[in-house]
Amino acid sequence: MTLEHAVVVPSTISFLPQYAALSDPVVDVRRAALTAVSWLVERHPGEVQLLVAEPRAEDVSRGVAEPAGERIGRRLLAEAGFRGRVVEHADGVLVVANGTARRSEKAPGHLDERAFAFDEAVEKALRSGDGDALTALDPALGEELWAFDTPVLRRLGDLAGRAAAEVDYADDPYGVQYWVVRWTCAS
Amino acid sequence: MTLKLGHREFPDDATLMMAIVNRTPDSFYDKGATWAEDKAFERVAQVVDQGAEIVDIGGIKAAPGVEVDAVEERRRVVDFVARVRSSYPGLVISVDTWRAEVGRAVCAEGADVLNDAWGGADPGLVDVAAEFGAAIICTHTGGVAPRTRPFRIEYADVVASAIADTTAYAERAVAAGVDRRSVVIDPAHDFGKNTFHSLELTRRLGEMTATGWPVLVSLSNKDFVGESLGLPVGERLTGTLAATAVCALAGARIYRVHEVEETRQVVDMVWTIAGRRPPQLAIRGLA
Repeated sequence: MTLEHAVVVPSTISFLPQYAALSDPVVDVRRAALTAVSWLVERHPGEVQLLVAEPRAEDVSRGVAEPAGERIGRRLLAEAGFRGRVVEHADGVLVVANGTARRSEKAPGHLDERAFAFDEAVEKALRSGDGDALTALDPALGEELWAFDTPVLRRLGDLAGRAAAEVDYADDPYGVQYWVVRWTCAS
Repeated sequence: MTLKLGHREFPDDATLMMAIVNRTPDSFYDKGATWAEDKAFERVAQVVDQGAEIVDIGGIKAAPGVEVDAVEERRRVVDFVARVRSSYPGLVISVDTWRAEVGRAVCAEGADVLNDAWGGADPGLVDVAAEFGAAIICTHTGGVAPRTRPFRIEYADVVASAIADTTAYAERAVAAGVDRRSVVIDPAHDFGKNTFHSLELTRRLGEMTATGWPVLVSLSNKDFVGESLGLPVGERLTGTLAATAVCALAGARIYRVHEVEETRQVVDMVWTIAGRRPPQLAIRGLA
């Protein structure tokens, strides 16, 4: 199966309905993510593959076995009207991943100056549709910078090769780097 | 249950602030601060700005004092209701009166709610509410006459008495033609009750909310707070808010208050703790 389209959305659990507040703290990125997922669903209404990070060991130890990315991906697909199946391999892929979480003193992981260069490299790869550059990301450094989804981005790189990219959102409103990206892969 | 208060409807998870607006020279808390009509009107503007959904306009203080007959009561409230109605079309206007003839006059000027603080002393009040499509607050007083202080009143079970009397009053209102969605019950803290009675009603308010009728509580700066803490009028806000929190957890829907903003914060916080209201904004730990 050849990858045709991929969408990247952040893995913020603010996307999950049980964390809804009266005011949406992620309204812009949520809107962008939903629009991008709808774009994917239009092209792949029958089957979509989810690429998400493994559950974190500390979450598993607290009884949360299902990866947050899995729940976020399925939620966005449902909101986009997806009635198909989530399968192991498909030519449409929803990638639930974001960058570092150490981009300011108020960021979840506090400030680490190395976060900027790391995210810059990721964003350059996403904007240029460069799968090889994603594959080359350093997962150990990603872990240090709280970019826990780095292995997911590397897997996208493995699957995609080269792609034409549209970046719908790129910002770090809470010191966490979010992207919403649509890739149309070279056949 | 959806609340229909005159021309406004509120969903069954809404809590409402009913701000006290006295057109009296002698009420216990403000001591005549809004006796002048313009001062009372300024008070309405202030509480609307603070987010009150309802104003409760009263022309007679609850405690014994100078006799205020129906003519004088009407003089104090009817034109004022008309003025508030004209300036605030969306505001719910309640009038604190036990007299049917006063109720009729204020409803004709656009009042939405008749707050019968004296528990049906005038049996004709429900008929007025029905005629005008107004809501009615059915309070419990233990049968005491209007404007009397409790004196050695005892109950076998004050909560059972409050439930029996207010729900009977509520059914009487419905039978008279008042919309079931427009009937509210109120245990009436300190009315026909000593401090121990009011405390027990607060502690067991969940039994009243369990009746299914929407419950109003009027706790603001009352003597049961003052006696509990040994504090005079003017120093009872913290105690009032503590009692408010307990009633909110039990599910009270309407809060008759002097301090709108503080009460709104407490009720919203408790409602949020109870899982009946989402946080205003939540990103901590979620980004």
